[in-house]
Formats: sequence, C-alpha cells, structure tokens
Amino acid sequence: MFLDQFASGTTKDSVIRLFFIIAGLIFFSLVTLYSISDDPLSFNSSFYRQCIFLIFSSIVFFVVKNIPIKIIHDNSTLIFIGTLILCIIPFFLPRVEYTYRWIDLGFFYIQPSEYLKCATVVVVAKYLSNHQLEVKDNSIIIIPCLLTLLSASIVLNQPDLGTAVIIFAPLLPMLLWAGVSNFTIFLMIAPIITILAASNIIFFTVWAFIMFCFFLTFQASVVNKTILYFANIFTGLLTPFLWNNLADYQKQRILTFLNPDLDPMGSAYHIIQSITAIGSGGLFGKGWGAGSQTQLKFLPVQESDFILSVIAEEFGFFGISCVMLLCFLLIKTLLDIAFRSSDYFASLVIVGLASILLSHIFINSAMTIGLMPVKGLPIPFISAGGSFLLSCFIMIGLVINFSKN
Amino acid sequence: MLKIENKADIFHYRALLFILCFSLFSLLGRYFYLQVIDFERHFSKSQVNSVKALTTYAPRGLILDRHGEILVDNYPTYILTVTPHDLEDRDIEFEKLSSIIDIDLEELNRRYKKYYRGRFLPTTIAKNLTFQQISQIEEMRLEFPGVQYERSDERIYSPILNDAHFLGYLREVDRDTVPKLDKTLLYRAGELIGWQGIEKEYEKELRFSKGVDYIEVDTYGREIFRLSDNNIPAFPGKDLSLTIDANLQRFSRSILEGKKGSVLVSNVDTGEILSMVSSPSYDLSVYRGTTSENEWNDLLKNKDNPLLNRSIAGLYPAGSKLKLITVIDLIANSLVDPSDSLMCTGVYIPPGSTNEFRCWQEEGHGLVDLNKAIAQSCNIYFYETVQLISLKDWTDTAKKFGFNEPTNVDLPNEKDGLIPDKDFYVKNYGRWGWSERGVLLNLTLGQGDILITPIQALRFINHIASRGVTPQLRLNLSKEISYYEKIEYPEKIWDHIWDGMYDVVNADLGSGWRARLDSSDIKLFGKTSTAENPHGEPHAWFIGFFDAQDTTYSIVVMVENGGGGGAVASPIAGDIVEYYINSSKFLAEN
Repeated sequence: MFLDQFASGTTKDSVIRLFFIIAGLIFFSLVTLYSISDDPLSFNSSFYRQCIFLIFSSIVFFVVKNIPIKIIHDNSTLIFIGTLILCIIPFFLPRVEYTYRWIDLGFFYIQPSEYLKCATVVVVAKYLSNHQLEVKDNSIIIIPCLLTLLSASIVLNQPDLGTAVIIFAPLLPMLLWAGVSNFTIFLMIAPIITILAASNIIFFTVWAFIMFCFFLTFQASVVNKTILYFANIFTGLLTPFLWNNLADYQKQRILTFLNPDLDPMGSAYHIIQSITAIGSGGLFGKGWGAGSQTQLKFLPVQESDFILSVIAEEFGFFGISCVMLLCFLLIKTLLDIAFRSSDYFASLVIVGLASILLSHIFINSAMTIGLMPVKGLPIPFISAGGSFLLSCFIMIGLVINFSKN
Repeated sequence: MLKIENKADIFHYRALLFILCFSLFSLLGRYFYLQVIDFERHFSKSQVNSVKALTTYAPRGLILDRHGEILVDNYPTYILTVTPHDLEDRDIEFEKLSSIIDIDLEELNRRYKKYYRGRFLPTTIAKNLTFQQISQIEEMRLEFPGVQYERSDERIYSPILNDAHFLGYLREVDRDTVPKLDKTLLYRAGELIGWQGIEKEYEKELRFSKGVDYIEVDTYGREIFRLSDNNIPAFPGKDLSLTIDANLQRFSRSILEGKKGSVLVSNVDTGEILSMVSSPSYDLSVYRGTTSENEWNDLLKNKDNPLLNRSIAGLYPAGSKLKLITVIDLIANSLVDPSDSLMCTGVYIPPGSTNEFRCWQEEGHGLVDLNKAIAQSCNIYFYETVQLISLKDWTDTAKKFGFNEPTNVDLPNEKDGLIPDKDFYVKNYGRWGWSERGVLLNLTLGQGDILITPIQALRFINHIASRGVTPQLRLNLSKEISYYEKIEYPEKIWDHIWDGMYDVVNADLGSGWRARLDSSDIKLFGKTSTAENPHGEPHAWFIGFFDAQDTTYSIVVMVENGGGGGAVASPIAGDIVEYYINSSKFLAEN
C-alpha cells in the first residue's frame, strides 16, 4: 500500500515533520485572524490574543515535553481524578454564558473539559497497557467504557454535547489498536448504527439483516449471539422514547441540521451564512482580507468555530485543500509515531490523541459545510481560543515526549 | 514503570489510515462541490448579502370621533435591542446604557437574561425610550457595538375617553400566532396587532403598510449609503372616524360612574351609535406593557369584571320591555281588542293551578286596557292575554326583532343572547318537565331563561322607532348603510305601541315618568323594565326614542342590579337625552 511509504524514515524525521506541519497550520491561523481583526495590533483583537496564547502555550509545551513519561504513567489515575474535579467545580460557580463550562480566572477563562479529553485518553491507555495479556478477553472493554462514560456524562451536564462526543472518539481506535477482537469492536459499533437506523423502518430492517449476517460469521456461543442480537433490536425500538428525553436545544439543533431552511434567521443562520461564504470563495478565493461575507460580519463566530469558512472564502478551494493536506499529514505523522513506538502505553496514548484531533478536524469542517449540526467545536491550531490552543499544545507535547523511547 | 513491548498490527494502522483518508476526502469532496461546482449560486448570493434590507414602519391610523376629535393617537417611542454576539463588552456597555436610559444595571441584566433568544437574535432590553435618549446613544454609536434601536409607536388615549371598551387595544403578536394571521399584512413576531374592539375590527384599515429600505453596510455593519432606487416606502394606516360623539360619551360615562351597567345612544335613521358606555371600566393604557403583575391580577380578579364590554357581551334578563312582543302578537292575530279592559287585582292564578302570580303593584291596577297595561307595565294583563298566544308565535316574533342573534355591530366578540324555544325547553327540562302555558308566563315578562345584550335592546327600540325599517348599528362613520331585515306590521300595531310608550313617560302614572324632559318640548317615548335575577337587586332598564329636528334618536340604559327600571334607569335616560339635545354640537349640527 503506497500510503505506507510515508511511514518510512525514523521517528526523529516524523517529529521534525510534525513541527513543520503545525507551523503551517498556525501560519494559516494567524494570517486569517489578522484578516478578520478590525485592528489586529490592539490588545482586544483575536489576532493579538492568539499570539500571546501561542507564546504561553509554547512554554507549557516545552514543560510537558520534558516530563518523564514514567511520572505521567504512574500518576495517570491521579491526573484523571484531578481533571474530573476541575470539571465539576464550574457547577458550583456562577454560570458563564448560561453553561457550567468555564472557570473564570479573571484574565482568562479556562475550560477544564479540554484537559479531561487528554486525561481520559491517558487513564484508558494505562488500564489497557496494564491488562495487555487479557486483551482478547471481551470484558477488557468494560473499564475503558465506564471511564469514558463518566467523563462524558459530566461534560454533557455542563452542558456541552460537542466535547462529550469528542471524549468518546478515542475509545474505539484505542481498543482497536490495543488488539481487542473484531467481534467486540463490532458489538460496540452496532448499537450506534442501530440507533441511527431506528428513525426509518426500512433502514432498520436492512440493518437488522446485515447485523444478522455479521453475527453468523463471528465465533461465539449461540446463546450469547442471540441475546446480543436481540438486545440491539430492542435498543433500536426504544430509541424513539429516548429521543423525547433530549433537551429542546439539542433536538432543535438536530432538526435544524436535517432541514436548515426551516428557520433561516434562527439556529440555521450560522450554517446558511457559512455555506454562502465557502461557496462564494471559488477555486482561488476572494483574496486576503477581501471576503465580503467575512468582512461584513455576516459570518458568525468567524474567529473560532467558523474560521475554516473564512479561509475557504478568502483563499478558495486551493486554501482549503492546503489546510486539509496539513491536517492529513498531522494525523498521519501521529499514527506513524504511534506505529513505530516501542512502548505500548505511549503508542496507545498517541493513537488516542490523534483520534481527538481528527474528530475535532472532522466535526468542525463538517459543521461549516452543513454536514453536521452546529457543535461549537474548534479546529486544532487554527481556531482562536486560549484554552483549546493550550490543550492542543499539551497533546503535541505528550506525543513528542512519548516518541522519545 | 513496567515496560511493555508495543505490538501494533499493520492491519490496525491501515484501518485507521483508511478512516483518516475517507473522512478528509469526503470533506474535501463537499468543499469542491460548494466552491467549484456550485460556485455561481453562492457567489451571487454573497453579492446581495452586503446589502441589508431594513424594514421601515409608518404610524398606525388614528381613531377620531364623529366631529374629528382624536380619541386614539400615536406617540413615537423607541425600543432598545442588543445582539449578544456583537456586544464587545456587555458589562461596560450596559453600564453606560443604564446611565443614559435611566434603568439600573441589575434590571438590564435581568431583562437580558429573560428575553435572551440566541447569540444572533436581537434581545429587547428597554421600551418606551425618548427621542433624547436615542440621540444620546446615536452620538456615542461607536461605544455601543451590538446595540440597536427601533422605532415603535405606542397608542395614547384621549385622557377623558381612555376607558372606552369599544376602542379596544393592541397586543404583541407571538410566534405561534403569526402563521394564522392575514399573510398580506406581513406580521412579524413582536409587532403590535389590534386585539380587541375597533382596533381589531378595523385592523386592516388602521395598520400601516411596511416599506423596505436597502442600505449598503460596511465592515462594522454601519450604513454607507442608501440605495434608494428599489426602496418601497411605508404608508401610514388610514384614520378612522367613529360615529361616537365624544362629548355625549363623556357625559354618559360620568353619569354611570360608580354604577355597573351600560348606556347606548344611536341615530335610528342611520344606525350610527353616538355613545356606547360600559361601566365599570379601566384605563386602556394598561395594555402598554408597563402594568405590574399585581395590577393585572386585580383587574382580572375584580368581581365587577371591568374588562367586559357589557354593551355587547353582557347577558341579562330582558324584563318587561318584551311585553311589547306580546302586544304585537295580540293585535296582529286580533286576539284582543285594545280597548277591552281586564281587572287587575294584583294576583293571577292560572286555570287549573294553585300558584299565585303577582303584579308588581300589590294592590292591583284596577281596570286595565292595552294602553294602560303598557304605560304602567301591568303584569296581570299580560299573564291573562299571553295565554292566547302559542310559544312558537311568541318566540318567532322575538327573534324577528333580532333577539337570539348578534346585531352585527362592527365590534368583535358580540354575544348572541338567548330566546328559549321549544327545543331549548325539551333539551334542558326534559319532554315533560315544563308546560307551554307556564313558560309563557315568564317569557311575557322577559324573564325565565331569556338573556339579551344591551345592544340587542337598542336594535329592538330602533325597530320600533322606525316602524320596522332600521339600518344596521355601526361605529364606523364611513361604513355604508345596510338595513336589518324589514319587519312588516299594519300601522295600527305600531300606533298602539307608540301610544303606550308615550304614556310610559308622559302619562301621570307612567312607569317611566322620571325620564320626562322638563326643559324641552321634545317628547320621549320609552319603556321601563325591572329584570329580576338570581344575583341580587333587579337590573334596571330603560329603552326609549325621541324625534328632534327631523331625526329619530334612541337610547338604552341598563343598570346592573340597580333596582327598578322606573326609579333608577328612567332618570338617567332623561338626563342623557336632555344633555344631548342641549349640547352645542347637536344644535350646531342641525
């Protein structure tokens, strides 16, 4: 497979490549932020603030890079519990923007759930590496699932559906990487597809049939297979009732996503303006600082959630292709490092972090082009925002740190 | 740390790589579709997007009285909205705003939270701003990103006529109501719409037509210039002149002060309503949005029900004015000779019964003919004679005069009233639970299950005053005249009724003598009614008409639980008529 060619070279090459890729992404970020700031050199502009965050994050990056991996491994449970407590603190503080997501430090809002993502990956990786010998046993998935569920449910209550989804993202790739059996992985994916298919009776029937074929091919006791199969079917049948338990704004977002023309000035406003901005960019864009949608502020939250739309408008399909290529190389390089890493724990952590970054990239881009509901998730290294930038740098710091052995 | 060898499988590496490629390529595919294939469409859309379309408004039409006096006017106020996403620093901006518009910071924050709908939707934080406050904000425009204001006219009522139910009021339309409204009037949630009374009935005429201004905006969303070519101007609503005479309305209102009831005065020849009072009343400006919850609850819970327009929606037993229905049936079918007399001893015992039915005058009226029976409202005469009429004939005649159906005056929410017929009794009392003779004893006195509205009584008296041909009652001065269905009877029937009603006021023992006009030779025709009801004192009624300078006018007075029609309603009617014929406007008009 030709893609394997990229994996050639040493880990040291990969790390150097990583620096260049991230520099490229940050370059795009700053160029774009400069373009959309009214007065880029004033203290309040997103460009200026992002520069300051970059300097601060770089310092943290070098600290994280040099913490001995053993300390992180041995204290991972402590780190996890600490971050969990940080996530619970906002519930006892006054609300910020009607949610319990942020802790106000005066000069800076910190969003602890950003760090919970990494902490969950580390603690799951530690568990899996400690139980490597039992990895073929189906029960190995129970603890990682519970840990992830715990983190996700706290974040969901803040409420922050987007981050909760992100916390779930690394689970499957890490289990797969750890060597859990394909049947188990399938059992984990099946209910999700069941729920999605439950909305339509034809999809549901087709999926029930496909699932039946899968169950036939796997090797497990007939009783187990039958029970699991029907458990899936029942989940599907219960889904309509669960739907009624969603918060109104969550339902609204999902419904708007399905039909954006429903309420053009309400929740679908973002998506429509974003698609107009992207589509009007064309092949080479309208030029730096010349995007009418962006500059006239028709485009909402353009410095973070919708920054890709700005890039698409001002630099066109060409610019977006460059960004996508950089993103691809970023994740690919992380996978290379993970693949070559000699340490099981380190390798798992890197795969987990790569999954987090990829899901951010995917969900954010998909949102700007109307393929997903608006989640308010930023894109790594490009979106403005201190807390998220810092957490991205910590992730890369961990990766480089772990790649050393 | 236990060093564990990494045994990552090349298959897993490839699986994750595949997911990576698949997801990024599908994204890129969508970008390609939007930016290259569908470019034209989005590009042209983006060109239009830098031009903003602003809705412009014009004032709502005024409401005037018949002489051009303004009853309902507009005054311009402004509402202040903020778009949360565009606010740069909410705390600082609110602090500055609070000192300009004189609302404390806490209140602003409270409203902001209460009306917050989303980051990109304007949130209303203050109403009723003055022009001075707006100019001050406009001067400091750059310090208030995300703050906008909109003109929004409020209704203001003539101070002496601020409690006339028929005027009605405006209300904000909510999101759920908008789809049910007339599409051509282009309502948007939050706009005002006529919700009651004249404001509702003539919404289409009074409402302005919206305009559109196209403006080009710069990066700050500030206006660069107006693209006036395609602008659609906004037009104000049409002014509406009512048939109401403001002075007469004020006088009738003042005379009912402290009482519950209704006064109606109309021009019989044209159907114009000169005065429509419902008491108790309330200040219409409570609907302007500054009313506190407590005040509202007081209004809603008040047992005198000030929100009810008694003139068209209050239901009352009719009382003896419906004796005239019996009179018509008696003469039309030649059942009695009007000059024949009956003996009223004060008591009537129906044949085959032991129940006693009493006259209001306990010692009896003595010998009573038709004329005296009307003038003195003798019950016994009608107890005896109604036995000659069938229930169906009686109710048909009553319905012919417009009872049991709305008068279709140009106001919303008019009540139908009730004239019970055979079907009604069977349904409510069972097949054998009532007798035709028995219920007629009640009906002929306008009692029993009968319910009428004061405006139905006005239509009734207009039919009598015009001898059967009377125009529809109306409040809009320029509305075309249309007639109620003609009621045809031989002239002698009308003569007998008129004679009787003349004596009610002008004969020595007439029950309505207190309505007599002392200062004028204009003669009032009338009929009093004292309507018994289970809620307390009887309702006092007076209906009447008079000719003045070749025009016939009619009047209805009803005082809820007021007592006797002769003692309470008649003098009120007399005072109002006297005031009207002596008022300068009346004299000047004729």
